[in-house]
Amino acid sequence: MPKCTINGKEIEVKAGATIMEAMYQMDEAIAHYCYHPGLSVAGVCRLCIVDIEGNPRPQIACNTAVTDGMKISNKSDKIREGVKWVLDFHLINHPLDCPICDQAGECGLQEQYMEFGKYDPEMAERKVKKHKVVDLGPTVVLDSERCILCSRCVRFTDEVSKTHELGIFNRGDRSEIGTAEGKELNNKYSLNTVDICPVGALTSKDFRFRQRVWYLKDSDTICNGCSTGCSVKVYFNKEGLFRVRPVVNPEVNGHWMCDEGRDIYKFVNRDIRLLKAKKKTNSGEWTELTAGAAAKEASGIAKSAGADVALVLTGQYTNEEYEKIVETFVKDFKSKKIYHWINNKEHLNDFDGLLIRGDKNPNTKGLIGVLESHSLTSPFSNLEADLKKGTVKTLVVAAPENFAVYLDLKEKLSLFTKAQNLIWLSSVKNSDLDDMNGNIWQIPMKSYIEKSGTFTNHAGLEQKFHKVTTVVSESLTLGEAAELLAGKNISVAVTPTRETFVEADRRADLVRLEHRKKNEFVYKRGSL
Amino acid sequence: METKLLTEFYHLDEFRGLSGYKAKGGYAILAKALKMQPQQIIDEVKASGLRGRGGAGFPTGSKWGFLPKNNEPRYLLCNADEGEPGTFKDRLMMERAPHQLIEGMIISSYAISSKKSYIYIRGEYDFPYECLMQALEEAYKAGYLGKNILGSGFDHDMDVYRGAGAYICGEETGMISSLEGFKGQPKLKPPFPAVQGYLRKPTIVNNVETLAAVIPILRDGAQAYRKFGTEKSAGTKLFSLSGNVVKAGNYEVPLAYPLMDLINKEGGGLKPGRKLKAVIPGGSSAPVLTAEECTKATLDYECLAQMGSMLGSGAVIVIDDSQCMVDLLGVLMHFYHHESCGQCTPCREGTGWLNKITHSILEGRGRLQDIDLLLRVADNMKGRTICALSDAAALPVISFVSKFREEFEFFVREGRSKVKGTTYAEMHH
Amino acid sequence: MSVVQNTSEKSKWYLPGILTGMMITMQHLVKNLVNKKQMTTLNYPEEKYEYSPRFKGNHVLTVKKDGSLRCTACMLCATACPAECIKIVASEHKDPSVEKFPIHYEIDILRCVFCGYCEEACPVDAVRMGPEWQTPGVTGANFIYDINHLAYRPNLKGGILSHVDDEERIKSGI
Repeated sequence: MPKCTINGKEIEVKAGATIMEAMYQMDEAIAHYCYHPGLSVAGVCRLCIVDIEGNPRPQIACNTAVTDGMKISNKSDKIREGVKWVLDFHLINHPLDCPICDQAGECGLQEQYMEFGKYDPEMAERKVKKHKVVDLGPTVVLDSERCILCSRCVRFTDEVSKTHELGIFNRGDRSEIGTAEGKELNNKYSLNTVDICPVGALTSKDFRFRQRVWYLKDSDTICNGCSTGCSVKVYFNKEGLFRVRPVVNPEVNGHWMCDEGRDIYKFVNRDIRLLKAKKKTNSGEWTELTAGAAAKEASGIAKSAGADVALVLTGQYTNEEYEKIVETFVKDFKSKKIYHWINNKEHLNDFDGLLIRGDKNPNTKGLIGVLESHSLTSPFSNLEADLKKGTVKTLVVAAPENFAVYLDLKEKLSLFTKAQNLIWLSSVKNSDLDDMNGNIWQIPMKSYIEKSGTFTNHAGLEQKFHKVTTVVSESLTLGEAAELLAGKNISVAVTPTRETFVEADRRADLVRLEHRKKNEFVYKRGSL
Repeated sequence: METKLLTEFYHLDEFRGLSGYKAKGGYAILAKALKMQPQQIIDEVKASGLRGRGGAGFPTGSKWGFLPKNNEPRYLLCNADEGEPGTFKDRLMMERAPHQLIEGMIISSYAISSKKSYIYIRGEYDFPYECLMQALEEAYKAGYLGKNILGSGFDHDMDVYRGAGAYICGEETGMISSLEGFKGQPKLKPPFPAVQGYLRKPTIVNNVETLAAVIPILRDGAQAYRKFGTEKSAGTKLFSLSGNVVKAGNYEVPLAYPLMDLINKEGGGLKPGRKLKAVIPGGSSAPVLTAEECTKATLDYECLAQMGSMLGSGAVIVIDDSQCMVDLLGVLMHFYHHESCGQCTPCREGTGWLNKITHSILEGRGRLQDIDLLLRVADNMKGRTICALSDAAALPVISFVSKFREEFEFFVREGRSKVKGTTYAEMHH
Repeated sequence: MSVVQNTSEKSKWYLPGILTGMMITMQHLVKNLVNKKQMTTLNYPEEKYEYSPRFKGNHVLTVKKDGSLRCTACMLCATACPAECIKIVASEHKDPSVEKFPIHYEIDILRCVFCGYCEEACPVDAVRMGPEWQTPGVTGANFIYDINHLAYRPNLKGGILSHVDDEERIKSGI
């Protein structure tokens, strides 16, 4: 394990590690664009030059292996001058697009300019003009003029998604990123190229122009799109959630996430959520009540049903919630009729080789674990039979939050409403219930970003995540709903609407710049 | 005094064909070499002090010694791309004596234990390509290529691969990328081609002349080869003389030959009434020498390096006092801007910037600070890139602007050439 | 600092001080009666004060030569505003040379403190503080100014041209 000294600090690295990997290990600031820890080394941006003792020429850090006893520094004036000039070369043909570019605020060029630049540009000639607003595919838009040709996106499509859609065409400063004739950038991981692009050349059609990044706060959580459970970061502000990005997690997802997971923020914003509890009797109108009141009424119904009350669970809630609700049903209702609603048996074990799995519920394993620990193994077909016979009086359903992956939702709804009383615990609105008969209570639930909990992914790895923010303050967790249904009195704190989308755990007097520092290009924020 | 180690029989048309070549002693050295041990040949080449004739001047014997001592298949690549402006010596050899190249390559392949070699010839060389293909056919038929060459048990295959018009494919890793079927973009070094080159296997890339020079070395011995030239620059070299001389052409002279002799004796001197202004001694990437420096220059690696220039590929471009240096720099900058592969930023953007500034000055829009800007941009392009094209573009700028600054200042102030008196548009109507 | 004490007998009398004061007032009265033009008071609304061209009044969104909004929805003005009164919603423009433009641009004029930071922050001279300052709202008045009001209200006579011209910039090759 070779030891080296970087900027005066000694560090031990793995054999064969490059200086850049050592810098990442030490969290030391070094300017770079084309190096990415999840991709191969390209060495084309020439920004990561360092001084090695004994070598008169500065070397690039991303391709130089660390030898024992190497002394490396990148703080001298000569190196700073060199980086400034290479940055200047990047900027001489770069268009003046900051006002209309999405990457403003998290742009590699802006960050390095504030660190090494702040000079007057001397390029007085005409800049090279290339294509702007090029439609690369269904998800990504390219602006060739902004591209600094770091080739990260090309390496991504070659090495990670292995779809080889992108390439660099033409030669010299006329080079442009593009797809071959007739092809487009259309794979399930295409939005990762937008993440890794250091400048605003590749932008996501979904997020384009929706918000400026300095208005967004971010927080870490777990994706609930499928059973892989990638670590993600959601970006939000008072107007809602805007986008989702992957977080490095070597055990689960590496550096990437799939495009399907990027849509999970859409099931959380207020426009799609069930805001207040509703109830209706047979083909009547909906009346709104508070969640607590609805639950209390429903609990009366449920208690009268006694051991005949049935519970349907989907694999989209946390382990803690499952424990609570199963316990409540077993102890307080003395009911053993707890069923697992599986939505796609045929695709359950699909895996595309990279990240996407066929089981679109994040916590199937957790649910199965909890059910087995209470020895509740009755198959769903039993419930279906009972419903068809008409012997189920009260049915409590923990509905899926990510309802788009439940393709059989409508037919299951018509099945569920065969019960006399249906208590529908859901975080999203459901207009299909308007036409259904029977007594229906809808009680709003918290979505995954409003609660802390644990998901167990396909491999049995338990991942804890914390509450990000409050979206619908009247919503309940499954555990709270269970207790209310059982007739217990608990207090449900309700925050006023203007306090929603405020980050959880924030000291009122603390100005939060921390999240800006987690951008990979900024290690230490200087005077900004 | 011309010494014709290689070019002795180039004037004979029949030397191109196999029978004419064999009549003058061709393929006899191959027979001799196949009886030696490969390591002996490498030692002989090392002892002769042969340096790469393509431009870099790296000692060939040492390069061959870098190969790993294992059983991996090796490749020999002959660099016949000849992209350096001003160079046309390899073309002469391929047109007039393709068998010399083939024989040299078979001997070198035997020395480095390579079973397959490629000649990477630039796409523009139609006629040399035909000559090479014809010669290859003849060689295969005669049993000099293929299985069990001359009964020695050594198998070897040779192929010719045509380029498609990129100067950057003359760079060794650029050539390897192009041969592998990718874009001809240079690769990062380390790993070096001798360890991981073509198809990730040990590869040696040598120039046409270097490989052919193995023949006289083995024929007469390393010490005889060392009789020509100096201690550090041994042997003879072909120089492509061009520019404002009476007899432009290729001349083989021993190294350390005085530059003025090459121009005046072999080249027939300048046109009547003209005076020498500058000479570019080693292809357009070599810094230019003023007339005064030329009088002291001898054509070897050390002397020219000491003067701040380089021997390079041996393309001697003679410039007399009727040429405008600013115009000449414009031509060179256009070339480098066009040929930059675009991988790394300083070269990609820098060559474009230098080209634009030079043409601004030429079109009369130059400002006085542009001249210093040229120097600063060129200074900061050097040494920061994957391959040497960036240095090759920067060195002429620095040498032209520092040594002929009055011409640039005149152009900026007056918008026309000091030497020719006309504007750029008039010069190139 | 030393205090000059006037301890003469005369100063202990009240009347001279009062009379001097009244004399000054009478002088001003007579001066104003005689020389009406040199009075500092303005007879508003017949006479109005001439403010400098840099006066920070109601905002104006400038337009380009073809009449479309100059603003590129970069949101620098909204970020700089200390009162957080500017709300912008951006959108994609069909013309790739324009690319981004605001579909909503609202200034809550009651929150605005007329500091001028938005005008300073704008990189393309899209928002300016104009000379209008007296804009009371009568019944049903809307104090949230939208694009129609900010760029195209009647007394702007079709829109104020911006100084930053994209055509020139594109022609010069930047």
